Amino acid sequence: MTENIVTAPNMLADAPPGTLSARDFHSGATPIWCPGCGDYGVLSALEDALATYGRPPHEVVLVSGIGCSSRLPAYTSCYGFHGVHGRALPFAAGVKLARPDLEVIAVGGDGDGYSIGGNHFIHACRRDLDMVYLVMDNRVYGMTKGQPSPTTEPDWDSDIAPGGIGLRPFDPLALALAAGATFVARGFSAQPHDLATVIVEAIRWPGFAFIEVLSPCVAFRREEFDWKASVHPVKQTIENDRAAAHAAILADDGFGLGVVFRDYRRLKPAPEPQRVTLAEIESEFRIGA
Amino acid sequence: MGRSSLAIVFAGSGGAGAMTAGELFLRAAATAGYYGSMNRLFGPQVRGGESAALLQISNLPITCQPDNFDLFVALDWHKVDQFAAEIPLTENSIILADPQSGPVPQNVARSKARIVSFKMGDPEATPLERALHGKHTNVFAAGAVGCLAGIDPAKMRAALSTVLGSKAADVQRLNAASLEKGAAAAATLALDLDLAPPKPAPRWLLTGNQAIAMGSLRGGVRFVSCYPITPATDLVEWLAPRLQQLGGKLVLAEDELAAINMVLGASFGGVPAMTVTSGPGLSLMVEAIGLAVAAEVPAVIIDVMRSGPSTGIPSKTEQSDVNLAIYGGHGDAPRIVLAPTSVRDCLFTGEWAVYLAESLQTPVIVLSDQALGQAHQVIDPKPDRPPPLARRIELPASKFKRYATDSDPVTAMPPPGTPHGQWVGEGLTHNEFGIPVSGAAAHAAQLNKRARKLAQFDPGAWWGDVWGDGDTAILTFGSGAGAALEAAVALGAAGSPTRVVALRVLSPLPLAALATSLKGARRIIVMEQNQGAQLYHHLLAHNAIPPTADSMARPGPLPFRRAEIIARLAAQV
Repeated sequence: MTENIVTAPNMLADAPPGTLSARDFHSGATPIWCPGCGDYGVLSALEDALATYGRPPHEVVLVSGIGCSSRLPAYTSCYGFHGVHGRALPFAAGVKLARPDLEVIAVGGDGDGYSIGGNHFIHACRRDLDMVYLVMDNRVYGMTKGQPSPTTEPDWDSDIAPGGIGLRPFDPLALALAAGATFVARGFSAQPHDLATVIVEAIRWPGFAFIEVLSPCVAFRREEFDWKASVHPVKQTIENDRAAAHAAILADDGFGLGVVFRDYRRLKPAPEPQRVTLAEIESEFRIGA
Repeated sequence: MGRSSLAIVFAGSGGAGAMTAGELFLRAAATAGYYGSMNRLFGPQVRGGESAALLQISNLPITCQPDNFDLFVALDWHKVDQFAAEIPLTENSIILADPQSGPVPQNVARSKARIVSFKMGDPEATPLERALHGKHTNVFAAGAVGCLAGIDPAKMRAALSTVLGSKAADVQRLNAASLEKGAAAAATLALDLDLAPPKPAPRWLLTGNQAIAMGSLRGGVRFVSCYPITPATDLVEWLAPRLQQLGGKLVLAEDELAAINMVLGASFGGVPAMTVTSGPGLSLMVEAIGLAVAAEVPAVIIDVMRSGPSTGIPSKTEQSDVNLAIYGGHGDAPRIVLAPTSVRDCLFTGEWAVYLAESLQTPVIVLSDQALGQAHQVIDPKPDRPPPLARRIELPASKFKRYATDSDPVTAMPPPGTPHGQWVGEGLTHNEFGIPVSGAAAHAAQLNKRARKLAQFDPGAWWGDVWGDGDTAILTFGSGAGAALEAAVALGAAGSPTRVVALRVLSPLPLAALATSLKGARRIIVMEQNQGAQLYHHLLAHNAIPPTADSMARPGPLPFRRAEIIARLAAQV
């Protein structure tokens, strides 16, 4: 295992000179989001980040599942796919594997990514394809009008779970680390400039880059707007030492913003197979005179 | 003179090497110029379970299992008798068994087959030699059967070397010696099993699963994502290295939900993509198949059917996913469902499926089954191939509307990277631009657009296969077609001309072509291997057959055989 580890080249080079603006990534469609929804900040940060990064909209694919935040692809001018609930990551993986030349970004919410799509999340971390996964976490199912998600506090009262769901929320960053993610970050929708900076870094990261974005729900979780007072920069970005990153994340209060972990160590890719033709494959079946 | 065909079983406990003996014998006979077929029978164990190789060698193409086996070679008797129902024997059959293996089990002996005592393995080997090198009983037995059938010993040696592959030189040498000793021992038996001389021709030896895989590669599939499932996995294991050598990608997904969604993603990216599964996996994929219909994304889904429901009998065949394939999912989600009519046809149907998916931007489900997929057959490779059809990707001169409803229902689908072609694939009800809407008019317009795509699909001559014009018609599909054809041939020879209609397109039903093929038939019987008569009811629902048509439906895993079909037809006259 160890001898198979190589160091990834540093991809955090400066962006090419910018000729694109955020406006170039805007489709003009009116979001269905409630006025004040955190997701507006995420959309704006993403458009800024894509403009800074500099590839034109037709070379970018945004993939999502189902939920309020999953409506995002249609609000940009990029190629997009709004699929079924929880499956944004495998769809995005298919796009990236088939078309490594494209920039692929999967987006969605906490229910989509951590509950119904939870299995895909851990496997996407492990698969480490060169793509970005941006989760707008509002700790509630908004589109179905207020049910607790895997990141909801145990005592949060709702119609479907009166008095609280009574379950520990899990920490998506710790989960990503345990599953082998090589780039783990947290952002906040009310700080779109900082978030855009993290997104640019994530796009440039030559592997699976996971960004958990705290994105308050104005309809069901108004108290989340108090997150403004809770957020703070992470103490440091930990590199390569996964155990230290785990310790830092577990010690964090869940409001540390920035890049938490980067792992430059990579498995060597499998050697390229020798090319054959269809006719050569068919000849395997041939038998007799 | 010799017989025109020979049906043989090699059976034994796991590790006894029944499959190796079967493969070796089949390959030798094929190389010698015979047609042949081998089906595999397994117990549920991964290692150490009982297994049987069911073979037929003939001067004519073989498309189904025989009514009875002529020769049963028992490598040992460990639990093999539980296969008795799947290995029909008669008093004309011969059982070759080593007296050291103990008495013939009751289930097998009940057939009154003639039991021939035959010592397998080198009688001169010391116990130490046997322990060190194994007994090579299987290769010894294969050598014996090769001699009895009159297969050229050189072909047997060459086949052994191919089957052993890269095994060490001493293993090769010991096995070759066992092969010779088996042949020598059999020379003393007078059993009259020798075959008429072969008629060699260039042929292919492959399984139905390999044939579908090859067809899909011909069709241009360069992305496959799947999750392991019996009896479909060997298709992907054959495909994996070859797909990669063609520059394609194969992904082992975390589950079937991921597999089908990866396929849709790759296809959205512009690369023809396929997944391969069996019933339980198809059940999990149903939601995403609806998405592929709604968002109009091409996808090929191969279902190698096995006995269901639930986990059923993973290693054994059935044709019980007809309803799931055609109707599975919520909403109105029409798709194309195909079924290869033989191992040979798996090549054609596998390739055609890709062209249909790409050109109509729709999921295409191919219903194969374990009996086709894992049958190893000698075939005359089909010369005809479907004409290539490609995806429509060029942008219109006017404003691009991905889901336009005022034109040909197959609308342009530019792959990402195409300037000015940006669109968002959408599973929600959408307008012509792909923007989600919830109005009745847009909903109907898009449902109509997708329905029109399938309505204008014309399968041409490939909707199905028809043999004969007798006034009794057996209407069937998949692995049933071969048995129906053999029954029809026998019935015709006995003065009851019978036609066989095998559907290649199960949905949308090719109603006009089917009506023509059934013209003049006074009696129609729909034959399928599931309990609920799924195809029969599908045909009735679409008025594809008259209400007087009869149903011959029964569950798997026992294959349809000629005799069963003839008896069933006779009983109803």
